[in-house]
Amino acid sequence: MKMVKLQKKNLNAFLAGLEKFGDLHGPVRRDTNDFAFQKVDAPEQIAHDCLRTILPPKKYFTKPVDTMFTFSEAEGYRAPDKDLHTKIILFGVHPCDIHGIKILDLVFGGQYRDEYYFARRRNAIVVGLDCMPDEYCFCRSTGTDFTEDGFDLFLSDIGSSYLVRVGTSLGDDIVLETSTLFQEIGDTDRRAYKRRSAQRINSFEVEIHLEDLPEIMDLEYESRIWQELGDKCLSCGTCSMVCPTCYCYDVVDQLNLDAKSGSRLRRWDSCLFKDYALVAGGHNFRADRGSRIKNRYFHKQRGFVAQFGRPSCVGCGRCIVSCPAAISLVDVLTKLRSRGNE
Amino acid sequence: MAKPIVGIFGLTGCAGDQLVILNCEDELLDLAGALDIRSFHMAMSDNDEDCDLDIALVEGSVVQPEEVEMLERIRSRARLLIAIGTCAVWGGVQAMKNEEQREKLKRQVYGPKGKDFGIIPSQPLSSFVRVDYAISGCPIEKDQFLQAALSLIHGDLPVLPDYAVCTECKMRENSCLLLERGELCLGPITVAGCNARCPAYGQPCIGCRGPVEEANVASEVNLLREKGFTLVDIQNRLRTFGGQSEVMQVAPTERGR
Repeated sequence: MKMVKLQKKNLNAFLAGLEKFGDLHGPVRRDTNDFAFQKVDAPEQIAHDCLRTILPPKKYFTKPVDTMFTFSEAEGYRAPDKDLHTKIILFGVHPCDIHGIKILDLVFGGQYRDEYYFARRRNAIVVGLDCMPDEYCFCRSTGTDFTEDGFDLFLSDIGSSYLVRVGTSLGDDIVLETSTLFQEIGDTDRRAYKRRSAQRINSFEVEIHLEDLPEIMDLEYESRIWQELGDKCLSCGTCSMVCPTCYCYDVVDQLNLDAKSGSRLRRWDSCLFKDYALVAGGHNFRADRGSRIKNRYFHKQRGFVAQFGRPSCVGCGRCIVSCPAAISLVDVLTKLRSRGNE
Repeated sequence: MAKPIVGIFGLTGCAGDQLVILNCEDELLDLAGALDIRSFHMAMSDNDEDCDLDIALVEGSVVQPEEVEMLERIRSRARLLIAIGTCAVWGGVQAMKNEEQREKLKRQVYGPKGKDFGIIPSQPLSSFVRVDYAISGCPIEKDQFLQAALSLIHGDLPVLPDYAVCTECKMRENSCLLLERGELCLGPITVAGCNARCPAYGQPCIGCRGPVEEANVASEVNLLREKGFTLVDIQNRLRTFGGQSEVMQVAPTERGR
């Protein structure tokens, strides 16, 4: 993999030079501790100290509320075209979120390929940025603390510079376009990178074991943990909204005033909502909250492993940080594992 | 398809929901053209008081014996009865003090003139008649009302949110007022549809749209108490808009604590 060096003082010049590749988006401070990916007019608006945004980058590829098509008697069905084809540069994506995107690529690229997703995906340049974990990060446990692909460029902090890994030919084009800003890496940079990497690995405060978790979960299928969680869970949907790999959506039609034309929308859904497993005739397969939260855990940590060979959790910590009821995935998994051996 | 015959009625409330309908300025002509509105006391004269109705939209809560009769009469005329606004759906702010003695309150407020009429504790429409759909909100959201109306005109069932304000709040990427600022926010148990308007302006959710389906009030109360709010504070907030709903009647035995 091609690697070059970018001095930190040149970062904004580099980002400003990317104009021809698309609109620049990056994490912007919303409140003291809150950040959100959004379009910036100038690179200076980007908050480089952002560890996790409220919503993950999935919002760019599968939007919270998305128009699938419009319909009318006169014009038939029309796909929206404008925002599917806007080119963007997504700067500051951490490894866990890149893995989140890679997981969504698998899901939306399956048997029924989702062109809405991939149209936007194709138009996004991903510039990754490394990070230092806080007390909620457990990406080391999920094997998503580092990534070798899923980005066009990836910047790792090595002191006064970034070590830049070039992941795609488009990434290489970008480097060539702004080549005066880059330098060859030298021995000091190599040492700095390794030092930083070791420091990062040693900074994780949380560790969970996922190796045999699917089996543990099968064994604890009837555990009273699920009911206890159901009593605590507010079904507010927050964890699903903020999860980099939650992809469920609901489809609704919205009518125009003639009640004949309108648009078909899809909107983020959550398996924690009461009506999620409600079917025609009024039967609800998961009528109680305990069974719904159990389903969420089983899908992420059990079903996804069976289907794709890995859990669909990237250890970003968002669900833990944002749960109003203070439900922690790490605590739940630890409890499942230790139950009976207390 | 014949235009649906519609009646719009108001019981006890501030008339804000009917006003939202009238405030659909850009859409009002289309809406009035698509519906055959026969009764709408707030907006027109020569109301037809007897015709059968395809849709009755009823605002306000029931606080007088006469209103029970009015409501039953509307129900008997209507194929679909839709409660509009938090008063009609949950009893509204006037249900806040339902446990207080009615006669005492009447004397305090109306003095001797109170002898001329009867009052009952404020209750939602569903305490007396079958309600087919409930569009809550204080007041109702214009877009939600229009979409519901258009669905009915088209012959579909209205799709109303079954999820909490938190969902829409997260979609907007608002800072969480409950977790970040420790405010008494009812977002987790209040039904969505407002696009988390108040939290987006830095104000906690006061629950004006009423509880979400299967609201986990016990868990919300626990987490608010852990944040240091007293049960009285919490209960006052819960009962401001959802007073009459069973789910909001939290642990009355604990009230003294």
